[in-house]
Amino acid sequence: MTTTQTPAAPPARAAAPTKRRPKRQREGAAWVFLSPWVLGATVLTLLPMVVSLYLSFTDYDLFNPPHWVGLRNYVQMFTEDPRYWRSVMTTLTYVVIAVPLQLALALVVALALKNMRHGKGFYRSAFYAPSLLGASMSIALVWRALFNDGGTVDHLFGNGGWINRPGWSLLAVALLTVWQFGAPMVIFLAGLQQIPAELYEAAAVDGAGKWRQFVSVTVPMLSPVLFFNLVLQTIQAFQVFTPAFAVSAGKGGPADSTLVYTLYLYDRGFVASHMGYASAMAWVLLLVIGAVTAVLFRTSRSWVFYASEGDR
Amino acid sequence: MTTTASTAVSRKPIRWGRVAVHLGCLAALLVMLYPLAWLLATSLKPANEVIASLDLLPSHLEWSNYKTAFEGVNDVSIWRLLGNSLLIAGGAVLGNVISCSLAAYAFARLRFRMRGPLFAFMIATIMLPHHAVLIPQYIIFNKLGLVNTYWPLILPKFLATEAFFVFLIVQFMRGLPRELEEAARIDGCGPFRSFFKVILPLTRPALITTAIFTFIWTWNDFFTQLIYLFDPDKFTLTLALRSFVDASSQSAFGPMFAMSVIALLPIVLFFLAFQRFLVEGMASSGLKG
Amino acid sequence: MPGHRTKGFCASAAALALCAVLAGCGGSGESAGGGKVVLRYTWWGNPDRAARTEQAVALFEKQHPDVRVQTSFSGYDAYKQKLAIQATGGDAPDVMQLDYRQIDQYASGHVLLDLGKVEDTLRTGEIDPGLLATGRVDGKQYAIPQGRGTETVVYDVKAWKASGVPLPRKGWTWSEWADDIRELARKTGRPGATDPGQSEDAFEVWLRGRGKALYTKDGGLGFTADDLAKWWTFTDRLRREGAVSPAEQTTQLDGSVENTPLGRGKATADFNWDAPSSGYLALIPTGVALAPMPSGDDGTPGQYFKPSMFLGIGAHTGHPEEAARLIDFLLNDSGAAKILGATRGIPVNETIRERTASELKDFDKTVSDFQASLEGTLKDPPQAPPSGDNALQTTFQRDYDQVSYQRMSPREAAKNYVTEAKAELRS
Repeated sequence: MTTTQTPAAPPARAAAPTKRRPKRQREGAAWVFLSPWVLGATVLTLLPMVVSLYLSFTDYDLFNPPHWVGLRNYVQMFTEDPRYWRSVMTTLTYVVIAVPLQLALALVVALALKNMRHGKGFYRSAFYAPSLLGASMSIALVWRALFNDGGTVDHLFGNGGWINRPGWSLLAVALLTVWQFGAPMVIFLAGLQQIPAELYEAAAVDGAGKWRQFVSVTVPMLSPVLFFNLVLQTIQAFQVFTPAFAVSAGKGGPADSTLVYTLYLYDRGFVASHMGYASAMAWVLLLVIGAVTAVLFRTSRSWVFYASEGDR
Repeated sequence: MTTTASTAVSRKPIRWGRVAVHLGCLAALLVMLYPLAWLLATSLKPANEVIASLDLLPSHLEWSNYKTAFEGVNDVSIWRLLGNSLLIAGGAVLGNVISCSLAAYAFARLRFRMRGPLFAFMIATIMLPHHAVLIPQYIIFNKLGLVNTYWPLILPKFLATEAFFVFLIVQFMRGLPRELEEAARIDGCGPFRSFFKVILPLTRPALITTAIFTFIWTWNDFFTQLIYLFDPDKFTLTLALRSFVDASSQSAFGPMFAMSVIALLPIVLFFLAFQRFLVEGMASSGLKG
Repeated sequence: MPGHRTKGFCASAAALALCAVLAGCGGSGESAGGGKVVLRYTWWGNPDRAARTEQAVALFEKQHPDVRVQTSFSGYDAYKQKLAIQATGGDAPDVMQLDYRQIDQYASGHVLLDLGKVEDTLRTGEIDPGLLATGRVDGKQYAIPQGRGTETVVYDVKAWKASGVPLPRKGWTWSEWADDIRELARKTGRPGATDPGQSEDAFEVWLRGRGKALYTKDGGLGFTADDLAKWWTFTDRLRREGAVSPAEQTTQLDGSVENTPLGRGKATADFNWDAPSSGYLALIPTGVALAPMPSGDDGTPGQYFKPSMFLGIGAHTGHPEEAARLIDFLLNDSGAAKILGATRGIPVNETIRERTASELKDFDKTVSDFQASLEGTLKDPPQAPPSGDNALQTTFQRDYDQVSYQRMSPREAAKNYVTEAKAELRS
């Protein structure tokens, strides 16, 4: 948005001889700085991507060399593997539940904190803490215990807890993500505080009530931040692993109800040793995430409002 | 909200709206922090009380749970596990800080051919699902004989593979006035010296944010550790926790959660020490996007 | 000044990195000082087996002071997962416990050391050749069976007797078993047994009772979707009647004894292997007994004597000699045999078996008697399952989950399984 970048000072003292080094030398310097990144991007990103694309057309168990099977992995995935579709549905369900819930909660709390005079800093940090802790194995274990037979949820609602019941186990996993709403909340809060007060005053003068102000001032001004959070959280949600793993003890159960896509990928690739198949799954995931991101970006044109254009 | 600039006598009536908001936030906070309280309490409960009731408070403090936790898992003491986790996280921090700042400087301040496309590519890699590269990376490390060592966990960090931080630092550097480098150049500094002497020190806030987030994310990273580390004495606290779960029965909840508490402590400490950096780092990353 | 802090930070970070390098390099299992050889030995089992194994290992370390054995164990499910990852990573443990299902896959995948290379240290002369042969692939010996086991219906004696239902008896059929379980459930108010639908092992026994087998000689499926549908319909009906454990209980099975309905006191009987059933004693102090598996309706017995588990050496171990010594110790040393008893099944070393048979006490004796009672009545064991069966064992469980949670009919689930199995076996 409004990144302050002072315009480059015009090359005033043209007389100073050491001022501009020859272009080639400067470019050379840039490449030196970039070299670790270039190495990493080539060897650890580009090359693996190509290799994994290749592997997706092979049968590879890591013990014996890969042997080419053409499209068989993809065909099997889409037509012969009911578990694959279950993992897709599970992941989609999870994304659709967890992301909106988490963002809504983040926004609500940010709004509540916006105008607080005392304790805002305290609440902000306190709500943020779970985001840091939530990704840990420790908390995942706590979650599993809380929702299990004999855990707090069981004591409150009866019925043996949620972990062993197919519909509810995914909800438990989703709640773990929602619990970590602190990170997007902090971003929302910062975004809210950047909205100039004059806009609200002008709206009030025009007779707009609280709700109208929210809809006409807050939402549009916040939309870039909202968009950023939406994209980030959605991409992360598609790749969720640790909570599902910990809550289901690695099995994706019960009845595959917590078998998210990456968990199934791990199972096929590392436990059942079908690396080719897992690679195919990874590429499909990549394409889907790319597509979803592209869709989000496209639709953003209609609802995201940038206060200052000409950015980037 | 406009502050009242009215008469000095004004004793404002209690704004019930405000109170309600405070109460609401407090209630939400209590619910949010319940799992943490539960964790702490359970780590001190004797075995028979763990699932028994809703009561948070243990009847007496079972410190022996911590003693058991300290003995570690599979014959590896907790100090070793702690040390391993610290090693990996520390190495990752070093790698990220160095390599990401180098790359960021190039993108933010230096001109070179293909800067635009390369930058776009870098941004795209932020959104790349890790799994698309996971298996070949695994194979590469496998063929190099580096599985079951810490290299696969640390080496990538030295090659700026976490584009998120490159991006973060780039955004920060863009905010620094260009006059600084102009001045340095006049004084005869080449790009290297102006980087080390001028820009880097000023980028400290972004570097600290990078360091802290790297530490925390690496500390919690389960999947990578899971597939690369086999020797129990190379395990991190995170992996050891999972091992603990596998090898014991329900009744060992107390020690398991004691170990969980220990595993969380460094993050909690970091958080308490650096919360402002964290929160502000998080906020700015969202805004400048 | 900004520079200072950064410098200090850089210095300590550099020190950390140096440590990381050193730690990462010390990876092949050598300990830093003392020159001791460190072996990694992993197995699955219950805490009782773990305790005894650790004791035996301690004895080994005493006799061989230059070797240190680093042990680790977990429940069966977790063990399978971890071993699979380690094997894939080319870094299998030095000495590992293996199931019959894993031999074929790991041997042909070059995960296991050809034991012919250490045959001077690893003596197999006193092991029954027929049993020994089960660990052979393509003519080479890759693993040694540690014990002989068979499946059993294990039950809570007190509860069963109190219910008045006739006790399990030799030669009883699946229909009789089902009737008894139903009665038990009615009388005791809780399921009579664990739902056997999720167990590929139980299915195999049932299948063999009807004259079929899980796999054919050339590694294909030995049964049809119809067969499987019949089995799952059978077990599912029992589940609906409350005669066997409900889905929420069954889904928690993970190979450990604590997480079974019997272990939790939520059922009266379970299906398990004979030796691991000793784990129930800790949970059911009044005692458990072992009964034969039900036979087919015409009396055909379905169970068989299976090599209960194998010991193998990792192909890439740095210390094949020491690893061989450890295995030799575990199998042939009488001190070890005394400690281990029958925790892994009846010992395969015939001399040891005869010697210890009389000394076996408590549950070990129960297992030995149980096996003796079945001697001569069972059919030959099938050959080693094809690789892929390892993964299919889990697929079987998961597919049945769909049935027990009523998301799919037994017929549909059976069709699914057969499709998945065919795909798995094809590769």
